[in-house]
Amino acid sequence: MSRIIITGMGLISAIGDSVEENRDSLQFERSGIGHIQFYQTAYAGKLPTAEVRHSTEELNKKLFGKPNPSITRTSLLAIHAAEEAIRDSGLSADEISSTETALVGATTVGGMCLTDEIYHDALAKDHGTPYLSSYDYASVSMALQERYGMMGEVSTINTACSSSANSILFGARLIQHGFAKRAIVGGAESLAKFTINGFNALNILSSKPCAPFDRDRNGLNLGEGAAFLVLEREEDCKGKKNYASLTGFGNKNDAYHPSSNSPEGNGPFLSMKEAMETSRLRAEDISYINAHGTGTENNDETESRAMLRLFEKVPPFSSTKSYTGHTLGAAGAIEAVYSILSLVHQEVYPSLSFKNPIVETGLIPVQRYVRQEIKNVMSNSFGFGGNCSTLIFSKT
Amino acid sequence: MPYFHDSVCISPQFSFPVTDLSQWRASKNNLLNVTEPDYPGIPPGARRRMGKSVRMAVGAALPLLEKYSQPDGMIIATANGGMEDCIKFLNQILEYNEGLLTPASFVQSTSNAAAAQIALVTKNHNYNITHVHRGLAFENALMDVVMSLKEHPGTSYLLGCTDEISAYNYNIDGLAGCFRKESVLNSELFTSLAEGTIPGEGAFMVWMNNEREDASARLDAVRTVHSEDPSTVLKAFNKFLSENLPDGEMPDLLMTGENGDERLVKYYDLIESVFKDKVPVARFKHFCGDYCTASSFACWLSIQILKEGTVPALLLKKAAPAKRVKRILIYNNYRGSQHAFILVSGVAVDG
Repeated sequence: MSRIIITGMGLISAIGDSVEENRDSLQFERSGIGHIQFYQTAYAGKLPTAEVRHSTEELNKKLFGKPNPSITRTSLLAIHAAEEAIRDSGLSADEISSTETALVGATTVGGMCLTDEIYHDALAKDHGTPYLSSYDYASVSMALQERYGMMGEVSTINTACSSSANSILFGARLIQHGFAKRAIVGGAESLAKFTINGFNALNILSSKPCAPFDRDRNGLNLGEGAAFLVLEREEDCKGKKNYASLTGFGNKNDAYHPSSNSPEGNGPFLSMKEAMETSRLRAEDISYINAHGTGTENNDETESRAMLRLFEKVPPFSSTKSYTGHTLGAAGAIEAVYSILSLVHQEVYPSLSFKNPIVETGLIPVQRYVRQEIKNVMSNSFGFGGNCSTLIFSKT
Repeated sequence: MPYFHDSVCISPQFSFPVTDLSQWRASKNNLLNVTEPDYPGIPPGARRRMGKSVRMAVGAALPLLEKYSQPDGMIIATANGGMEDCIKFLNQILEYNEGLLTPASFVQSTSNAAAAQIALVTKNHNYNITHVHRGLAFENALMDVVMSLKEHPGTSYLLGCTDEISAYNYNIDGLAGCFRKESVLNSELFTSLAEGTIPGEGAFMVWMNNEREDASARLDAVRTVHSEDPSTVLKAFNKFLSENLPDGEMPDLLMTGENGDERLVKYYDLIESVFKDKVPVARFKHFCGDYCTASSFACWLSIQILKEGTVPALLLKKAAPAKRVKRILIYNNYRGSQHAFILVSGVAVDG
C-alpha cells in the first residue's frame, strides 16, 4: 500500500490563526486559556476556556466577505483551517473539486454550538431561524463540500474526543484503498453553552488553567479551533511539500465506562500498542508523545499507566492542551499538526502549569521548550464512549 | 469480497423478530415510527437509561453478538445520534439557567453512544467508529467495512446504523420544509406527489466477513456523490455502472429511495431512464419513511429479496422480475444533494 504523506496543513486555535502563529505560541509558551469573551454563558468569568480570538461575525466577514446567514461558528473555523491547508498544499481548485479528492471532517458539537437557536427551532410552530439545516455534525463537512464543489467521497466522523484522529485515519485508508487519490482531513469544534454545561455537569472542568499530568490537577479547560491536513500518496508528491508521513495508527475501545477510562488504561494501552505494531517501530524509536493529557484526574493517571505499560522507558511527552484547552472533535487534528511541527522543526513543546508528578505513576512531562532529534511522534486522542485512537507520524 | 451474514432490522414494518414483507403497517400522524420489540437481552436498568436510538441499536446488535461472539470491529452509522437526549439536555440548560445539571442526557447525546454501549455491554476492545455524515453515514460505514476486510483478512465486523424520530428534529426538519404538510398515509406516498416526505426511523445490524459460506448476500460496491446537478449525478452513476457492471450488464432489480417529494422526482426518473424500462424497479420508503440512514433499510430488504429470489409485491413500482433476482442496485438520494449507489448480489446455490 502507498505511503501517506502530509503535503499541507492549516490550523486555527486560541493560540493563533495559522500554523505558523500556533508554532510561535508553542515555542514561546503562550497559552490561549483565558476569560470567556465570544459566547454567551453563565460561566463567563468563572470557568476559563481557550477561545479563538475572533467573533463569529469577524470570521464570517473574513471568509465570505458578507454575512452568511446559515453558517455556524464550527463550520467557519473548519473553512478557515481548510483554506490554509489547501493553500499550503498547492492543490488547484480543479484538484479539490475532483472526484479523486476525499474530504473527511470530524466534530462533536457540530451545529449544536447554536444552543439557543436550536432550542427555538425545536419548539417553534413557524418562523425557523436560518440555521435549520446547520445543526447536525455533517453540516461542517457539508460547508466545505459546498464551498469547494467537492465531488469525491465526503464523510464526517464523531467518536467524541478522538473524532479527528479517526478522520485522519479514515482519509488515509480511503486513499490506500483507491476510494480517493488524495484527502483533506481534520476536525472542527467551537465553544458553546452545550459543551460547557455538559462537561461542567460531569464535574471535570477546572476553574484554573489546566495542569496536565500534575499531581494536583483538577480538570480540563474547553477550547475551540480547527485543523485540516492534506494527505497524498507518496508517488504523487514529487515537487510538493513533504512534512511527514503517517506511519502508524491504532483505534481501540476501552469498554469500561461511558465517560471515564479504566483504571489500568486498557483502551489507551491497546490503542498505542496497535499504532506501534502498524508502524513496525520499536518502543525506543518514538522520540516524543503528544499526550491526550486533558488535565482531568482520570485521564492523566490512566494515560500515564498505559504509557508505563507500553514503554520500558517512557519517551519525552507533553500535553499541548495546556495551550489550546481541550478542543474535543478538533483535538486529534490540532495535535497531529503540532506533532508534525515537532518533526519538521526538531523541537518539543512543553506542558504548562506542571509542578509535581502524580504520586502513583511518577511521570514528568517536558517542561521547557527543547530542540532535539525527533524521528517519530506519537499522538494520543481518547474520548467518551471509550473511543481511543493513536497516530504515529514519521520523518520522511 | 465482503459478505452479509445474519442481520437484524428494527423498523416500522414487520422486520423483527419475525419478518413478513407480505403485509405492512400504515403510518400514523404522518410518521413511520418503529414498533419496538421487548429487547429481552438488555437489562431493564440499562434499558431505562437508553434513549430510543441507542436502545434500537443495542437491541438489534445483541442477537448477532450472542450468535457470533466478538467482532473485530464495530462500525456504526447514525446521523443524529441521541437527538432526543441532546435536546433534553438543551432544555435543562435553558430551564435551569445553566445551573447544576445532571450529565446523563449529555453523555447519552454523543453520537458514538450506540457504538460505545455495544462495546461496553460486550466488553469489546476492538476497532470502534461512528460515521455521522447525514444521508451518507451508512454508505461511509459500508466503505469502512470493505476496507477493514481487505486490511485484515479473516476478520468479522458488526456493521449497523440507527436513527430516531425525535419530536425536536421532526420540528426542525419540518420547519426546513422536509415533510408533508397535509395529512398523508404511507400507502399514498407515491400517488400524491407534493413537497416533502414522511419521516421514519430504524436500526439495522449485520454481521459481515469475507466468508461466502452461510452468507445471505454479497456487497459488490458502494460509492457516493454530492451534487444538486442531475447531469453530475448521472455521470457518477454511469461511472459506477461501468466500473461494476461492465459490458452493459444490468442488475435484476433497481431499488430506489423515492420518497414522494416532488422536488426529487427528476433524479429518480433520470436514474431509472438509464435502464430504459429493462430493469424492474422497487421502492422502500413507503415502508420505512425517510431518514438519514434509510438506505440501510433498502440494504436489509435487498438481503431478504436475494435470499428468496423474489420481490414482495408491495415494494414493486413497475414490472415484476421475470427471473430469480440475483443482483440488486440501490440508488438513494437524501434531500437532493447526497446520492448513494450500492450494488449487492445473492449467494444462493443456484445463483
